[in-house]
Amino acid sequence: MSAFANTIMKPGYAILRQIVMLAIVLGLWELAGIYGYLNPLYMPRPSAIGVTLRDLFSDSKIWMHMQATFTAALLGLALGVLAGVVFGILAALVRVISELIEPIMLVLNAIPRVILAPLFLIWFGIGLGSKVALAFVLVAVVIFFNVFGSIRNIDRRLVERVITLGGGRWALIRQVYLPSVAASVLQNLKVSVGFAFTGAVVGEFVGSSRGLGYLIQFAQSSYNASLMMALVLLILVVVLIIFAIANQIEKFLMQWR
Amino acid sequence: MRVNNVSLSYGGEPVLEGASLQVGSGQFVSLVGPSGSGKSSLLRAAMGLQKPFAGTVDLELPRSEVGILFQDDALLPWRTARQNVSLGLRFRGMGKRQALKKADEWLARLGLEGFEDRYPRRLSGGQRKRVALAQVLALEPKLLLMDEPFASLDAIVRTKVIQDVVHLVEKEKIAVLLVTHDLEEAISLSDVVYLLSQGPRAKISQHYSIPIPRPRDLVRARLHPAYAPLLEKLWNDLSREVEGTGSADTKAAA
Repeated sequence: MSAFANTIMKPGYAILRQIVMLAIVLGLWELAGIYGYLNPLYMPRPSAIGVTLRDLFSDSKIWMHMQATFTAALLGLALGVLAGVVFGILAALVRVISELIEPIMLVLNAIPRVILAPLFLIWFGIGLGSKVALAFVLVAVVIFFNVFGSIRNIDRRLVERVITLGGGRWALIRQVYLPSVAASVLQNLKVSVGFAFTGAVVGEFVGSSRGLGYLIQFAQSSYNASLMMALVLLILVVVLIIFAIANQIEKFLMQWR
Repeated sequence: MRVNNVSLSYGGEPVLEGASLQVGSGQFVSLVGPSGSGKSSLLRAAMGLQKPFAGTVDLELPRSEVGILFQDDALLPWRTARQNVSLGLRFRGMGKRQALKKADEWLARLGLEGFEDRYPRRLSGGQRKRVALAQVLALEPKLLLMDEPFASLDAIVRTKVIQDVVHLVEKEKIAVLLVTHDLEEAISLSDVVYLLSQGPRAKISQHYSIPIPRPRDLVRARLHPAYAPLLEKLWNDLSREVEGTGSADTKAAA
């Protein structure tokens, strides 16, 4: 027993320890539910959440809801990254554009941007547009400031190196500015993915006829805690999978770090 | 290369006034002086990175034939050693394959065979300095401007890298203008050493011809009979400049 305890306490077994701890918490939670210490209306048992999750997938409609959320999040992410990069570069290089855009971005950054969801619902309707718009605003502001900062704080030594080696404006853009911008975007890819899904789900939560956010709103209005927790778990798993993919992309493209 | 009565400012304050020096073909010239005397500013003016408010810098050759080595290696972190070395060649219109081949040759010449695909972060300080050197020498410059390029290296690596540079500049007959704080380095490497007076408004107060024959070996150069007296004189003159009592020398030189 002592040898086993010594082995499991080694640093390499951290994941195993975490899994064991999670299993203990879930087990205690389940037992507390079985013996009536928890009201299933507010705190359903893990097994009940599992059954709800299984039922969600046995009903093919969940795919339609997931597709709606994914479409809104990924469209918002793509457009937000594109706008953030373009305006970030323009603002960093052209003073007049910086004077126009930076205050807007500062205001958008200062407010909790999800409060724009009801406004976007009025402007773009109950469909996909309002969700994409919210995901877009959440992502674009983050990417803008990172790209803007990465160009403004560019290592002058690299710029001078390229110039003294005979590189012109295009060489500077290709060899120094674009890689800096790409690094800045990739470093913030995980944060951006998180924001994109936040935008899509909150947008659906505020007003929608489909999507995971809509299902959460439905679960809330019907006081279905089991469905609510199953959906939270589903969103968590989906975002973690996307984080892992983003992490691999970052590792592959940032081998030089 | 000729520097004619150049005056420079830094942040609006004049740092250097009326500096003149010349670097002949194949000549190794060093510029030493107290901190803040405008050594690096003078080199930046020669590189075209800073504009003098008076005087001229005449390179007497196309800028494409001037190589520049900074104190920081300033390699692009997202490019491999090979890609970094090939950069200048590509800027000069060389095809990608040919540029990479030439980069490999220069890396091998500087003892970096097998490190071609490494990113700068995975190279030691000495290896990065060699990559930066290969990047410049691959362009086959006729004039090399160096701003304390060896300052960040430890003593052993520094001696090895400097010896490599000496061999290469002697073999390729490259003219060099080196800015350094290190008087021993200046004497053992150079044909002529220029001393700047204490700034602000620093001037070139003295210059010294170094009679040590070439080809030079860094260790043997220090055993030459002329070395110690020169070092002593240069040290005394520099000390007077730092203490602010070197005006007599400055006037004498003028």
